[in-house]
Amino acid sequence: MRNVRIINGTPATKSRYGSHYGERIFLLGSERYREWIPWRSKLSAMILKGYEIEMKGEEKILYLGAASGTTLSHLADIVDEGIIYAVEYSAKPFLKLLELARERENIIPLLFDAGKPWLYSGIVERVDFIYQDIAQKNQIEILRMNSEFFLKKGGEFLIMVKAKSIDSTADSREVFSRVLKDLSKDFRILRHDTLEPYHRDHIFVHGKF
Amino acid sequence: MRYNLWFGTVDDGIRISEDFKKSFLLASNESPLPFSVSELGLRVLGKDYYRILRKTAIEVAEERVRKELGSDDMYVIALVKALEEVEEAINMVREKDEDIRLVKEDLAEHFERALAEMERLRSQIEKEIDAVMQKIAPNLTEIAGAKIGAKLIEKFGSLKKLAFAPASKIQIAGAEKSLYKALSRMKRGKEARVPKHGIIFLHSFVRSLPKKKRGKMARFLATKISIAAKIDYFRGELEEELFSSLKKRYEELRRT
Repeated sequence: MRNVRIINGTPATKSRYGSHYGERIFLLGSERYREWIPWRSKLSAMILKGYEIEMKGEEKILYLGAASGTTLSHLADIVDEGIIYAVEYSAKPFLKLLELARERENIIPLLFDAGKPWLYSGIVERVDFIYQDIAQKNQIEILRMNSEFFLKKGGEFLIMVKAKSIDSTADSREVFSRVLKDLSKDFRILRHDTLEPYHRDHIFVHGKF
Repeated sequence: MRYNLWFGTVDDGIRISEDFKKSFLLASNESPLPFSVSELGLRVLGKDYYRILRKTAIEVAEERVRKELGSDDMYVIALVKALEEVEEAINMVREKDEDIRLVKEDLAEHFERALAEMERLRSQIEKEIDAVMQKIAPNLTEIAGAKIGAKLIEKFGSLKKLAFAPASKIQIAGAEKSLYKALSRMKRGKEARVPKHGIIFLHSFVRSLPKKKRGKMARFLATKISIAAKIDYFRGELEEELFSSLKKRYEELRRT
């Protein structure tokens, strides 16, 4: 995968920048790599499990639920010539996200509620890819609304689904099969898998609009 | 049809906004745009489109984050949490100090110095809570006292939430555990006693009364706190009569 390498069993991304959240930096010849710990980032866990996402490096991406920017910083390394619109609603982690956004020229930070995409509809353009990691009950609805507003026809999405935040009492597998059924109404699902053992009760779903 | 974009509006023609930061927050549209914002933007603003967009986004976000985190409610809540931690730390260190003194006195001096320093910190935090509470909730401070008022704000999450809370909830705030224990016992048909007070037990008017009268006082105090919080949230000016009515009730209860 573009700008990603597995170093000593852990993914790492090629980066010109320093450490954002305390991750280690590896030097390979003249290239710098930032360690990408799978326990901290669901995308890293997914890559370590052998699932790759094809990126050319100049994609436009909408990132919903960027939090403090851990995964976002690595994604920004991968699409170093693209643009990432990073949406996060909570002020506290946004402080850290802003630090990252000031440093990286390809990140546009948006302090908005991802559940109300119309509020930023005049800012975000049609994107090639939506990445969503929001632990909320209506996370599927959020993806659907944002796709309608911003995802190109044929564009792809990757969503990290947390079973416990959709239904905390039901069995995870049951929740996941419900989610997949729900998603397949509007999207074509390409693949999905759990993120065990790195993240419990999580699956990723990769699909097409 | 009129479309709101972060750099202006589009209907028959394009009108570029004079203040990007303002139009950035007004870029709301009911349905997806039938054209590309970035293509239009690149045509109008040139190759600097993304640079300007990013700069605007960062500036807007900085202001909104600052406003949200810098709000006084959050400050009070953070102070209350800090105060609780410092108090606990003081108790812990004092306890260990006593344990060590039983065996040897050698370190006593160091412990004393550290404790004095921590106590100074505690009174500093208390003073700050006083000052901020005086500013954001003068009535609540007058009725409940700065510390209890601040604890209530912390418990409910903000002054707004406290102002919208029922007095009965304020009365038992901080005693949820025993309340729900009592309620579940009652549900099973057993005898149970519902708590009379939570955080507001710290109030001297409640604490100084004999046990039998505390419930009445707590109930009255909670209603007055509720009124005070509402005045503070909507008007923010000091209402003199509130405290005198509270005091009158206290005197009544003490005499009888």
